[in-house]
Amino acid sequence: MLADIGSLLTGLALAATVYAASAVLWSIYRSQSDDDDARRGPGRHSERGRQWWASGRNAVFVAAALLGLAVLVLLVAFLTDQFSIQYVAQHSSRNLSPYLKGSAVWGGQAGSLLLWAFLQALFAAFVAGGSGTENRPLAHWATVFLSLITVFFVAVTLFLSNPFALGETVPADGQGLNPLLRHPGMVFHPPAMYLGYVGLAVPFALSLAALITRRIEDWPGVARRWTLVAWLFLGLGLLLGMRWAYDVLGWGGYWGWDPVENAGLMPWLTATALLHALVMQDQRGRFRWWNMILTLLSFLLVLFGTFTTRSGLIQSVHAFARSPMGPYFLGAMGASLVGSLVLFYARRSLLRTPASSDDLLTREGMFTLTLILFLTITASVFVGSVLPTLSDVLLDQRFEAGPDWFDRVTGPQLAALVLLMGVCPLLGRTARALRKLGRRALPAVFVALIVPFVAALSGFTRPFSLVGLAIVGLAAGTALSEIAQGVAGRRRQGEGLATAFWSLFGHNRRRYGGYLVHLGVILLAVGVIGTRFYAFETEAVVTAGDSVQVEGYTLLFEGLDRVALADRTGTSASVAVYRGRTYLRTLNPTLEEYSSFGQTIATPAVLAALREDLYLVLAGWTGGGAQVTLKIFINPLASFLWLGGLVFLAGGAIAVWPSARGARLPVAEMRRRRQWSAAGLITGVALLALAVWAMWGATQGTGASSSPSGSLAPATSSAPAGRPAVGDPAPAFRASMLDASRLRLSDLRGPVAVINFWSPVYRPCKDELPALQAVWEEYQAQGVAFVGISVPHLADDANAMITDFGITYPNALDLATPAQYGITGVPETFLIDPDGNVAYVHIGPLTAQLLEEKLAAVLAQ
Amino acid sequence: MAGKTKFLVAGLLIVAAVAYLIVSSTGSTARYFLTIDELRAMGQDAAGRRVTISGAVLGDTIDYDPAQPSVTFTIVQVPGDPDEVERAGGLSKVLHDAVTNPTAARLEIVYQDVKPDLLQHESQAIIRGQLRDDGRFEADEVLLKCPTKYEEGVPDQVEAP
Repeated sequence: MLADIGSLLTGLALAATVYAASAVLWSIYRSQSDDDDARRGPGRHSERGRQWWASGRNAVFVAAALLGLAVLVLLVAFLTDQFSIQYVAQHSSRNLSPYLKGSAVWGGQAGSLLLWAFLQALFAAFVAGGSGTENRPLAHWATVFLSLITVFFVAVTLFLSNPFALGETVPADGQGLNPLLRHPGMVFHPPAMYLGYVGLAVPFALSLAALITRRIEDWPGVARRWTLVAWLFLGLGLLLGMRWAYDVLGWGGYWGWDPVENAGLMPWLTATALLHALVMQDQRGRFRWWNMILTLLSFLLVLFGTFTTRSGLIQSVHAFARSPMGPYFLGAMGASLVGSLVLFYARRSLLRTPASSDDLLTREGMFTLTLILFLTITASVFVGSVLPTLSDVLLDQRFEAGPDWFDRVTGPQLAALVLLMGVCPLLGRTARALRKLGRRALPAVFVALIVPFVAALSGFTRPFSLVGLAIVGLAAGTALSEIAQGVAGRRRQGEGLATAFWSLFGHNRRRYGGYLVHLGVILLAVGVIGTRFYAFETEAVVTAGDSVQVEGYTLLFEGLDRVALADRTGTSASVAVYRGRTYLRTLNPTLEEYSSFGQTIATPAVLAALREDLYLVLAGWTGGGAQVTLKIFINPLASFLWLGGLVFLAGGAIAVWPSARGARLPVAEMRRRRQWSAAGLITGVALLALAVWAMWGATQGTGASSSPSGSLAPATSSAPAGRPAVGDPAPAFRASMLDASRLRLSDLRGPVAVINFWSPVYRPCKDELPALQAVWEEYQAQGVAFVGISVPHLADDANAMITDFGITYPNALDLATPAQYGITGVPETFLIDPDGNVAYVHIGPLTAQLLEEKLAAVLAQ
Repeated sequence: MAGKTKFLVAGLLIVAAVAYLIVSSTGSTARYFLTIDELRAMGQDAAGRRVTISGAVLGDTIDYDPAQPSVTFTIVQVPGDPDEVERAGGLSKVLHDAVTNPTAARLEIVYQDVKPDLLQHESQAIIRGQLRDDGRFEADEVLLKCPTKYEEGVPDQVEAP
């Protein structure tokens, strides 16, 4: 039933888009002939063209609505477990939680194509509905092209990969969603990527429309925001993908240069270049050829990515299975390419740029080099992705490019790109402005020297990484000083600091949003430098109760927990992490075994800090959990990746925010325009917020939160723990209590705390217990805290002793704390003052009198 | 120099530098992509060369020692050309045929690392590493692709290096 409705809706949508394309095309033809008529005298026909346009436009809206309904129907089919539908049976199961059932809609090829078709139709509707009067011909032609593109995707969905197709049998339960996709990042990553992909079709359609209508001057202004939206979503999608890879895949990295990752990166690179070139054409009328070529390339690369992942051309573990749709995508690419090139040739006179005095050392000159670099980077990534096929054809030998290859080829180019990002804004519009360069560049050069200097002092000393950091510093200095100059200019006009910031970003969103994006990219670059140059990886086999030292961390393996869930068994190791003597956090790397998939997923646990991430993976265990194998990764500066991502998104959001300018339009037009941009804006902001929550909010529990002890900064001492001297801060311990709870140093509130290390089998300790209990009873009312920490022994022994002597203060059986306090034997007793410093240390058995004396002394202070 | 020429020269310089990077990196860090048959055909030439090899995993041969950690397993020859795979009836069938064919070429893999999540019977393994003198293949990196359950279900990264 649902399947029939879904297929019907998709079929109707196909009819509606075909009609829309034809009706709008017809309306264009009519209004052109009407224009011819109009020249001969006022005709009655001019209404005709408009009516056809209105009809075609409505058909675009209807198609978007129908496809939206089809997606909803598929969603309902997933939520209600309609396993008669093959796609549902293959990607869902009864025990899946509703939000995962929802995300399973795009968990496979057929559903993701339907979503794609819907989003493409939605964007066509936005273009058709949001077109103003001034650019009507552009919008009409663009609607034709977007409808044709939508026709292609709907047809592919309906005829080659219909998500509503029924299976031969109806299984009792579905196969379930791939465990790797059960992550909040995977809920938003595909839609974000698709929004980016479909968005890039809009500038493509507009560029063709501009050539046909000869409105070459108008299209960059119209296309800019669409490109910005598409580019922002693509960037968000890539970031979410990186974050997901880092949080889920457990190989310690975030980018593996896999062909499918590359397929998403390439259109983003060309879109970035396009975004800049569009602004240049909008402002100065230059770069017309560049814009045409970059728009075409971005669109072709979107199709290429879809083609490669579905055609089997690229051997990738990420790719979809080879499917019959490859040739169709190749055909679509061929048609777009040939059609565009023919149009370029026919309108080549329009693309000629007005002559100007070109010079390399101007902003525009360097800008040209930047565009060339974007293209060479894209080309490099492309060559690397298809190297096996390419070398097979050229050399009759199949070569394959691994991460090394990509790092080597793109690394220098990316560095050059960041360098240009720092240099371009410093240059003037003419070569003559070079004379002022020194003064302008001073702050940037200063930052360029400071950054590597600070890095070297902090222990990052590899020469190449320092060169990279200097380049990054230069770019950061430029962006910061541009913002600072803008703020200073506003302050001179009497604005306060906060107002100056607000109005600077408010009045020139495009420019300063852009600088913020640059800063985001710069932070990302710092993260890349840190993780590419200084990442550290090791393995360790640890026995329960034992610890291992890695790069200044002490990892204490406390034990293994097994939890059986409906469809999987989770086994998680409890690993207490110490830096020096300070307890930081307990990490729980987990192995999840999905019996129905015969698959095991290692979920890493991450202790994130600004300087570095400690990333643990549980690789396996032996001896019934007595021994575990841990993979330990140290990823320096990895936090900068996500920090940069957030700044990048914030900058992009500012740049995309519609400005209040352009107020000379008719009132009705303004209102309509506002309604459309408000609708788009609300959708976009909601999606962005959800996605940001998914990545940086939802994962808080597993990795990204700060440590409870709050001392994540590198500890000053990583030397083996010795006994703290009087006056030293007491080591922040976290002891396992006999009642299975946990006790931290910070839990011991009160004017003074007594920590007694003891052992249930050692005579002097036994002798001491009555004295301790007596003093505890006497001083309890004054808020004095007591804790006994037994060195490892059988819990039964300790409990027996506590019962025998009637001990009432809390007691722990713990390994790590005695080591943290550097005790050399038992008993040892520490008094901690209210500031958390050691006030007194006693080695050997205590008498009640001595303890009371010392307590009184601390209390008297 | 005229403006146009300057740009042409600068652009060509960049392109030439990138072309050099690509060619030199292909020589030094790219790897041969081979099937087991092709590796065998190379004979002595193959020893010590960094190559990427693909094959079907034999489930019974997987031996994992988590204490090392180290995993050994055997892979069976499958064709490398996608068209050939398609002609033979698709990847799942090719993988299944391979592991049930006792005469197909086999290769023992040694991987000094944690057992990958997807290492199981009939999965397709893409392995980077080099052939050792003892005829076993030492893997630096193992990528796996599951054949049956949800081969079209993964729109993005499944398993990175």
